[in-house]
Amino acid sequence: MSESPKLALIRAKVESFERLTFDDGMALFMEPDLLSVGQLANEVRETRHGDRTFFNKNMRIEVTNVCVASCLFCSFAKLEEHMPGAHTMKLEEAWHELEKRMDDPGGPPTEVHVVNGLHPGLPFSYYEELLRGFKRIDPNVHLKCFTAVEIHFFARHYGLSYAVVLERLRAAGLESLPGGGAEIFDEGVRSKISHDKATAAEYLEVHRVAHRMGMRTNATMLYGHIETFAHRVDHILRLRALQDETKGLQAFIPLAFHPDGNGMKNMPAPTAVDDLRTIAVSRLLLDNVDHIKAYWVSLTPDVAQIALRFGADDIDGTIVHETIYKAAGTLSPGALGYEELVRLIREAGRIPVERDTLYNVVRELPRAAVPEAALKPRDRERARPKLPMFQVPPSPLVAHADEVTS
Amino acid sequence: MSEKLRTLGVAYLNARPLWESLKDDPRIALELARPSELARALAENEADIGLLPVAAAATLGNLRLVRNVAIGARGKVRSVAIVSERPLHELDSIALDLSSRTSVVLARLLLSRRKLAPHLFGAEPAEAVAAVKGSTGALVIGDAALNVESRFDHRLDLAEDWLEWTGLPFVFAAWFARPGALSTEQEDIFRVAKQKGIARVSAIASEHAARTGLAEASLISYLTQSIRYDLGDEELRGLVRFWDEGARLGLLARASVDVDEPKLARPRPSLDTVLSRAADGERLSAADGQRLLREGTFFELGLAADAVRRRKHPDGVVTYIVDRNVNYTNVCTTSCRFCAFYRPVGHAEGYVLSREVLGQKLQEVVDAGGVQILLQGGLNPDLRIEWYEDLFRWMKKEYGLGLHALSPEEILHLARLEKLSVKRVLERLHEAGLDSVPGGGAEILVDRVRRKIAKAKCTSEEWLGVMRVAHAMGLRSSATMMYGTVDTLEERIQHLLKIRDLQDETSGFTAFFCWDYQFEKGTHLAPGENGTHLYLRTQAVARLMLDNVAHVGASWVTQGPGVGQVALRFGADDFGSVMFEENVVSSAGTTFGINAEKIEERIRATGFRSVRRNVRYEWLSEPK
Repeated sequence: MSESPKLALIRAKVESFERLTFDDGMALFMEPDLLSVGQLANEVRETRHGDRTFFNKNMRIEVTNVCVASCLFCSFAKLEEHMPGAHTMKLEEAWHELEKRMDDPGGPPTEVHVVNGLHPGLPFSYYEELLRGFKRIDPNVHLKCFTAVEIHFFARHYGLSYAVVLERLRAAGLESLPGGGAEIFDEGVRSKISHDKATAAEYLEVHRVAHRMGMRTNATMLYGHIETFAHRVDHILRLRALQDETKGLQAFIPLAFHPDGNGMKNMPAPTAVDDLRTIAVSRLLLDNVDHIKAYWVSLTPDVAQIALRFGADDIDGTIVHETIYKAAGTLSPGALGYEELVRLIREAGRIPVERDTLYNVVRELPRAAVPEAALKPRDRERARPKLPMFQVPPSPLVAHADEVTS
Repeated sequence: MSEKLRTLGVAYLNARPLWESLKDDPRIALELARPSELARALAENEADIGLLPVAAAATLGNLRLVRNVAIGARGKVRSVAIVSERPLHELDSIALDLSSRTSVVLARLLLSRRKLAPHLFGAEPAEAVAAVKGSTGALVIGDAALNVESRFDHRLDLAEDWLEWTGLPFVFAAWFARPGALSTEQEDIFRVAKQKGIARVSAIASEHAARTGLAEASLISYLTQSIRYDLGDEELRGLVRFWDEGARLGLLARASVDVDEPKLARPRPSLDTVLSRAADGERLSAADGQRLLREGTFFELGLAADAVRRRKHPDGVVTYIVDRNVNYTNVCTTSCRFCAFYRPVGHAEGYVLSREVLGQKLQEVVDAGGVQILLQGGLNPDLRIEWYEDLFRWMKKEYGLGLHALSPEEILHLARLEKLSVKRVLERLHEAGLDSVPGGGAEILVDRVRRKIAKAKCTSEEWLGVMRVAHAMGLRSSATMMYGTVDTLEERIQHLLKIRDLQDETSGFTAFFCWDYQFEKGTHLAPGENGTHLYLRTQAVARLMLDNVAHVGASWVTQGPGVGQVALRFGADDFGSVMFEENVVSSAGTTFGINAEKIEERIRATGFRSVRRNVRYEWLSEPK
């Protein structure tokens, strides 16, 4: 089980908090020993967050899939309003989605996450009114809406600057930006897979402006299509540079490309080992971003659990209305309940922490009764020795049980 | 403690002096059992203390050893010997009486010390003696050994040879207790019983002589001169030496003994030590396995299992098979609580597949380049053995596919239905075309668990018994484990040990697969907290424990293809099969379907080359 010399050097750097380079990133992608890469990322993750694993109660909504962009990887957007399957919600429909959730047994969602197509025919006021309506229903709900690509589109389409677009939306209730639309920054790749939307520079500039206004944002990367490992490392390092400048990124979310129903349907989907490695390398390279998110919708809940050992400390939220990955053929269910997310985290031996969008703790839940969760015998007939009521169970209890049974 | 100590003795003559007086002791609940049964009962907490063979004690690990009482010998023991017509170094093969694993391990050590490697094969006691001819010898034990004391020209007394090698006495068995099960005062009960027993040796010998026809004087001499009942410092050193030598050859787990002797008592090894031993392929004890499953971290276990996988399969190749799981009937009489597939006899949704439907399915397999059929079904009382024989012959003749068919439960069902022995049923099916036996229905091979989740199903011993018979006929089989119902961590390890023990005996298991209980509506067991972490950890520990099973398969059908990939870094070297259908698991809500091309893609993405295999894990082409 001896480590490769390259990995040993990287380990030494990581352990002395030294910044990793582009070449280190490449070496991590090429390293044959996947588990050792994961283990190293896990050490960083546990240094930052221990076993705590974040999730939230969120509501995902896509109000329109009409889109002027023609990204090859997209199975969601329909070009024009009149095309079959194209749909734009009336504002009341969109608001109703939140109203329906206000009586959720676990409490209403703490976040509304809106991502849309780039619709050429809606007035800007539609978006402002959309946000206001959500706030009218629940003034406490956090509005994380519109990717940098949409903000860029609004600026061009309505002839406004990024700052003005963001200010007006903020006045209507916008509080942070989701990370979508980053795809791959490399210009060559980007011109092939999404040539007619915000460029890398524009994407990063929108985030920069938002950060300067005091907004927090997330960032993503769409991998597993025509890009190379070098493009992934480059993408991650461009985000690291932005973060050095602004400190406004909260979380990085690697997104696996899913090939069904889009312009790249002949490509294999990235596999779990690629997903896990990408998460691990992201954790190791992004030394200035707090959170790495294992987006379960993309990964499937099964693999997302494993990702919590490969560097991820966030598993996203309850979601409910995801249609973009569903259109691209993910095996994941459309929604996971609160209890299910908690169970996923606990089974991974981690501590579930419900957060709000800005990573304030809403509720920290106890970990599963025994480390590594499910290892506890669930057979009630084999109860451990009973202790008198007044006695706090001493920690040697576990050791004792061990002696008895081993 | 006011409760009686649950105590297990052994019916052997040389053990009798140690337990005879305990029969009437009010503090003791004594039962007699076979040595193998005794280890099981201790492991499964059905007994507190037992007169355990020392090899079994090493396997369990961390037991409490009672000082000053043992069954051993310093020099000739007379009752454990390799007998032959020719000198030992001229033997090509040796039949082993498998009733004492300790003696088998001792024999292997002594042969290895002489750099001899004859072919060893298991046999019933009577068969072993009968096998002796020319260059074939036999390891004989107990009365069988005493019976033939002067029959053969060559006889290696194993305890005598051990003394010559090590200068130490040999200990065959001693009183071992579950940790914490008895107090120091209670240990005295066993020392006093020994004194009483030794005083009655003549009576015991004459009773035995009357029963067996062996000479009384010879038996008295055996019990007083050959056998030594002490366990002093020297005997302890001999015992520890045996454990160490056994561990060195990978025959025994490295035992850590709890005994009142500071010089010999060994501290519990650190988890790191256990892990590196495991990664190096050393044999692990039950106690080691439990610690790994309880305390080993995700990556430690994965890396250790990966190291073992790499050593066993250094070519970096992962296999898979193209086969089809056909459930020929869903009518079943067992009503397992975890099963959503079965229908009771007479139910409107019950079915038996017609030849026409079967034929279509088989043709599809042939067309897809498949090599075998995995045929399993419910226990349907309407289907007689002739039905299976006809079916098998027809399938073989028409389609020529490999037949991986009928789990032990179904074999037992047929044996009961037809009032035939398991052996006869297997022989008839084998003749009709059966190639191998799937390892399904093992669930957890601990009867406490089986009674709760599948009351009507066979016992652990029956399941293992079918496999033993099948392996002896040259049939291969897989082994499985379904955990996560009411089973404890200890019981999962016990399950693995039972498979490892049988594998020591038969070498008939080709591969091991595990998965967690798949909950769905329609099953009658609550869902547990299992998850993919536990799956990977469990599979890794299985890879580490099952040092004698060549292959471990990733159960992607239950865990999802993504986790299946990761499982290839947690000890698995096989990606199971391309599934056309799998009714039992898929009716419990798990449905993943991927084709051969996608399987190969996933194997390669994990850094391996892929190759198709047959049921014996032989490659069907060059890996790519």
